[in-house]
Amino acid sequence: MKFWIVSIVGIAVLAWLARGLLLPAFLAMMLAYLLSPLVGWTDALAIRRSVAVGAIFSAILLLGLLFGLTIGPRVVAETSTLVERLPATAARVDQALDRAIADLLEAAPVAKNVLPHGEGWISKLLVSHPPEDVAEFFEHMGHIFILVILVPFFAFFLMRDMPSIITGIMNRLPPQHVETSVAVWRELNGVVGRYIRGVVLDGLVVGTLAALGLWALQVPYPLLLGIFAGVANVIPFVGPLLSGTAATLVVLVHAMGLGGVVRVLVLFVVIKVVDDTVIQPLTIGRSVHLHPAILLGSVVVGNHTLGVLGMIIAVPVATIVQETVRLLLQHRRTLARRGLRSSAERMVG
Amino acid sequence: MLERRVPRWLAWTIDPEQARRAPFLAHSPLFAGLPRRLLGRLSTRFLEKTYGPGDMIFHEGDPGRALFVIVSGTVEIIRATARGEHVLRKLNAGDAFGEMALIDDAPRSGGARAAEETRLLILYKTDFDALMDSEAHIALVIMRNLSRLLASYARQNAAAVARAESEPL
Repeated sequence: MKFWIVSIVGIAVLAWLARGLLLPAFLAMMLAYLLSPLVGWTDALAIRRSVAVGAIFSAILLLGLLFGLTIGPRVVAETSTLVERLPATAARVDQALDRAIADLLEAAPVAKNVLPHGEGWISKLLVSHPPEDVAEFFEHMGHIFILVILVPFFAFFLMRDMPSIITGIMNRLPPQHVETSVAVWRELNGVVGRYIRGVVLDGLVVGTLAALGLWALQVPYPLLLGIFAGVANVIPFVGPLLSGTAATLVVLVHAMGLGGVVRVLVLFVVIKVVDDTVIQPLTIGRSVHLHPAILLGSVVVGNHTLGVLGMIIAVPVATIVQETVRLLLQHRRTLARRGLRSSAERMVG
Repeated sequence: MLERRVPRWLAWTIDPEQARRAPFLAHSPLFAGLPRRLLGRLSTRFLEKTYGPGDMIFHEGDPGRALFVIVSGTVEIIRATARGEHVLRKLNAGDAFGEMALIDDAPRSGGARAAEETRLLILYKTDFDALMDSEAHIALVIMRNLSRLLASYARQNAAAVARAESEPL
């Protein structure tokens, strides 16, 4: 018991001291979960973990290079076009908004105190946030560089050493509690693993569908918007709304008319329906059984505490809490039944 | 498992522990008849723990959540009776116990204790279920083996009852 208290306190102190490493460690854990079926497959072939994990990372690097060489130039081109045109486009949207508000005020002058006019909201939001100075820019780049280096580094060692870490922990656990405590962990491990792999696969499918649909509707930046839709899809409820709004804004800015807006909205509604009824049951499946109210509540709390990262991890964290409580209650009920049975046996005896 | 198939110059890529595990499991009556590929997949789902002499592995009445296979050492299956503790069976390397946990969550019908330093492979029901969902053939073979084991336990129990009834009071 003393060992566990000292260990938990030690881990908490270390986590606080190295809190800057929490994000890379968390992302590395996600990556390890994502790749665990591949490692399971190589384990079944009795291939040494270090060899298997090294080969998997080399293959990922190769795929990344291939992706960068084929789709990368198109994404870079779309991004640079967007960045070039953004100030002019934002100004155009502001002008259009001002015109619309002016028309509205002419019809209803009472709204003058409520509606903003000539504020340039969109320009302020999208354009007037350049890095304040060079130092800040390099700081941001440094953070990204650290993530790019540290995440695969942590994930490599996590995947390579996981069996020995687990055996070490198992041998430290008190013998009589191993079965139940490890059963809870195994169940959570299964749920979280399925959820993370499901979410990534779901994001890939949704992103691809969005990119193809937008390309078919001749909306500009289909690749960028598709990638955004896939990434945003990780956030329940809010993600699809964000990606739909971004695509609608692009349509509005490029003066594709009301018909264009309707077509894009229909596309995103269809993708959402297909996602909910076909893709999610096949990818995420039965891994998450959260009530919609708890799901939404966890996303709001996640956003409040950790921002975008909080919204992303809200569902797995809520699932872990719910499953832990359910398993512990189930264990307590079984123990209570055992207590009742033995006292009944004593009475009969 | 693959040592015979890989060229010598690639032998360093083989994990000796994992390579030993699958043939070891093939000798257990519960996993007999599983093809090599599936034994390999099954073996990755096992966790490992070493118990000291006298350590309780589980108590009678505990919720059953895992199956155990003895790698080395001896395990006693015990049951509390009005006259005290009674050792039902002594199990050795290669034997499996707690297999009923793979079927239901019912409480353990007896306790298990390590008689000496014992290394066990542990397969949790969650992992077993996940594997069965993805590989129907594993489910078929193991359930058939499990049915045979249960039938043999039932016959042993019937014989024990008959013996007890024939003994003079």
